[in-house]
Amino acid sequence: MHEMSVAMEICRIAEDQVGLEALCYVREIGVVVGRNSGVEPESLRFCLEALLGNEPFRGARPTLELTSGNDLRVHYLEIDDDGPPH
Amino acid sequence: MTVRRIEVRERVMERNDALARDVRARLTGIGVPAFNLVSSPGSGKTLLLERTLKDLNGEMRIAVVTGDVQTQNDADRIAQWTDSLVQAVVTGGACHLDARQVTQALEALELSTVDLLFIENVGNLVCPASWDLGETAKIVLFSVTEGEDKPLKYPKMFQEAKYVVLNKTDLLPHVPFDVDKAQAFAREVNPDLMFFQTSALSGSGMDAWYGFLRAQARQPMRVT
Repeated sequence: MHEMSVAMEICRIAEDQVGLEALCYVREIGVVVGRNSGVEPESLRFCLEALLGNEPFRGARPTLELTSGNDLRVHYLEIDDDGPPH
Repeated sequence: MTVRRIEVRERVMERNDALARDVRARLTGIGVPAFNLVSSPGSGKTLLLERTLKDLNGEMRIAVVTGDVQTQNDADRIAQWTDSLVQAVVTGGACHLDARQVTQALEALELSTVDLLFIENVGNLVCPASWDLGETAKIVLFSVTEGEDKPLKYPKMFQEAKYVVLNKTDLLPHVPFDVDKAQAFAREVNPDLMFFQTSALSGSGMDAWYGFLRAQARQPMRVT
């Protein structure tokens, strides 16, 4: 449940960046996950895949970068301007 | 295919933390300390608060925000000992309180009349460690019916906390629990922790706890 809350917040940050209508063009979301962030990376990946596989996204892929420390942030969005679908 | 990358670099918790900063600034501004009470389910958070409210009633005004996944049972229990200073948050499935919920809960409290605020978090030693609620400090409660190694199993929570309340000490004669070992494990993950040993049921150790709260409560209402 905690990871799902975090995954939903990541989706909200993506929406803030590109707007709801453009979320279907997002094809990758890069997330930095610190080992001491309190988040289990594989669980977060699972939750993100579940969310990104559904509207308003269209199968964007989560890319998790594991680091030391307690960092937890959205690093980048990769946008395919010629999509969707992709 | 035209693919471009947007650098975001936004902390996932940023929106929560911004709200938490607002809560902290508001409470600090009026001198109200706030303690985020965290534990696993069944450690005795609600009974500790009930007893505290009962014993300090008339001495200081304590407001409580309770968080539960379902039911307002804890808030109902605590409300017996205060006059409408309890605000219940039912998370509806979420495993922790967040700063947005606390912000909303505080809207329903008349903080100008409050000397001390407790936030009774959802019973969970994992997720609440990651969510800043704008509190003065986190207080971890754990009981002698749990293992001494709780601090080693849930280090992030004990690292985030300033205080530990070891509760249900009235059961020590009946359970194989080593207090010294538990404190050593806790200090292994956070050497700066301050400890209390209480039995909210028998009242043992509550005087030290109350002394701490008196020292923390809003200055004008402090009792010496």
